[in-house]
Amino acid sequence: MSDPLYTEIIIDEARHPQNHGKLEHPDIAQHDANPMCGDSITLQMNVKDNSISDIKWDGKGCTICTACTSVLTQLVKGKDIDFAKNLKKETILSELGLEHLIQQSPIRIKCALLSLKVLKLGLYSYLANKLENKGFDNLKEEAASLY
Amino acid sequence: MQASFSIEQIRKDFPILTRTVRDNKSLVYLDNASTTQKPNQVIDTITDYYKNHNANIHRAVYALAEEATEAYESTRDKIAKFLNIKNREEIIFVRGTTEAINLVAYAWGRSNIKEGDIIVTTEYEHHSNIVPWQLLTQEKNAKLEYVGVDDNGELILDHLDKYLSTGKVKLVTFSLMSNVLGTITDAKTMIAKCRKAGVPILIDGAQAVPHMKVDIQSLDCDFFAFSAHKMLGPTGIGVLWVRKSILETMNPFHGGGDMIREVHKHETTWNDLPYKFEAGTPNIADVVGFGAAIDYLEKIGMQTIREHEIELTKYALDKMSKVRGITIYGTKDISKRGGVISFNFHDLHPHDVAHIIDREGVAIRSGHHCAQVLMEKMNVAATNRASFYIYNTKEEVDLLVKSLEKVAELFKL
Repeated sequence: MSDPLYTEIIIDEARHPQNHGKLEHPDIAQHDANPMCGDSITLQMNVKDNSISDIKWDGKGCTICTACTSVLTQLVKGKDIDFAKNLKKETILSELGLEHLIQQSPIRIKCALLSLKVLKLGLYSYLANKLENKGFDNLKEEAASLY
Repeated sequence: MQASFSIEQIRKDFPILTRTVRDNKSLVYLDNASTTQKPNQVIDTITDYYKNHNANIHRAVYALAEEATEAYESTRDKIAKFLNIKNREEIIFVRGTTEAINLVAYAWGRSNIKEGDIIVTTEYEHHSNIVPWQLLTQEKNAKLEYVGVDDNGELILDHLDKYLSTGKVKLVTFSLMSNVLGTITDAKTMIAKCRKAGVPILIDGAQAVPHMKVDIQSLDCDFFAFSAHKMLGPTGIGVLWVRKSILETMNPFHGGGDMIREVHKHETTWNDLPYKFEAGTPNIADVVGFGAAIDYLEKIGMQTIREHEIELTKYALDKMSKVRGITIYGTKDISKRGGVISFNFHDLHPHDVAHIIDREGVAIRSGHHCAQVLMEKMNVAATNRASFYIYNTKEEVDLLVKSLEKVAELFKL
């Protein structure tokens, strides 16, 4: 049996997710949940020289959510904060061939993008603290308009 | 089972059951604990109301207004008969169970709950029977306590004794049937304990009333809430029943038209019961449609419905428990559970399971079922839930089981 959503690459990614676990002394820790289904994701990051030196995730999510979270952490690990901050939802979705969700599944796209939302909330809070709230509203707005 | 009971005949009354979904798959609708489908009798009654009788109620003197009022009020009488309610003025129409419970929290709770008081609910409540009490107890600096759920999915009644013995409990509230586990609450024992302690009781009947005979007078509670849409009726209509001696002491919930006797610039006197609690133009057409739903259920008979669901649930528990990798929650004792089966499949997230079997036309619920307190207790993020009604068949249970095999195949389990 095959399914347009549950491709082998997604199932494999979700069954063997990368960067799962917790960091001992995270510089950034952010949690959020999907109120509709109860999926919840925590991301922890360490920051060194303005880049994300390490990232781990923990939480409960469906196959789509888990696969996307795994891919997200691989994409941003070792990268500049600016890169992570500007990461587009299309980039995550295309890594797993999920672009069709944007048009076709307003419900499941929230599973796919929960971790991206958590990432941005975490980064924005971190940056806002450093910026002493300058520009925080813009950051929040950008995070809120992700979906 | 009654000789006159024919599931084929019943299914013919529900036009939606003949449609296909996804890739031309027959619809297998197993999300009845969430909402039920509507028979032609209900749909036609609502259409007929709008086509032939529509007018506002309780006011104008012309013919249509009389007909509309008569149709609306006749549903109140049907409910009184259906649930063996003594006084029709104890029946208040609301939007649903959620609004009914909020009405009690606001109009009764605000003047009866004081600092240090305790409200007792249970771990298997729907959010609608938790959050209104959180709001109230936080406002009043009172406490909200929970009767726990054991591994069998049943309430731990010792917890109730413990809280009642403090002498501080001012309300005990519980669901007559869990919307996740299907457990039928031992209401008789709980109510006896509360009565002995002189504590009023609120019952959430949203899951129970559609599926079994409920007799309000013999239950002997004080507040009772349920929704029309879970019992073949339209959405947006529910009922709050309140014992008259309590209702007479309660302040209004909403102020406005229809709930008043006389309005002056700085004072108002209230209308008689139940109109004091039905402010504004109500959802007339759907109350009329609800009456048709009650007629339909009475014609089949609540005992027949319960027997059908016992047979179907027994069959489903038997078939499903043989599926490799399935975890079924709740009691195995069929006399203690309704037609609700929550389960998990291997270590798959319920969303994945529900999504894949939806492609086979099987509609089940996946998620926390508005019962996150229970999910926490069960230590799961979510479950799958299949829930049955009078039109479901054993063949549909087979299709559910078959669709689970496809999930296993896809995930190579």
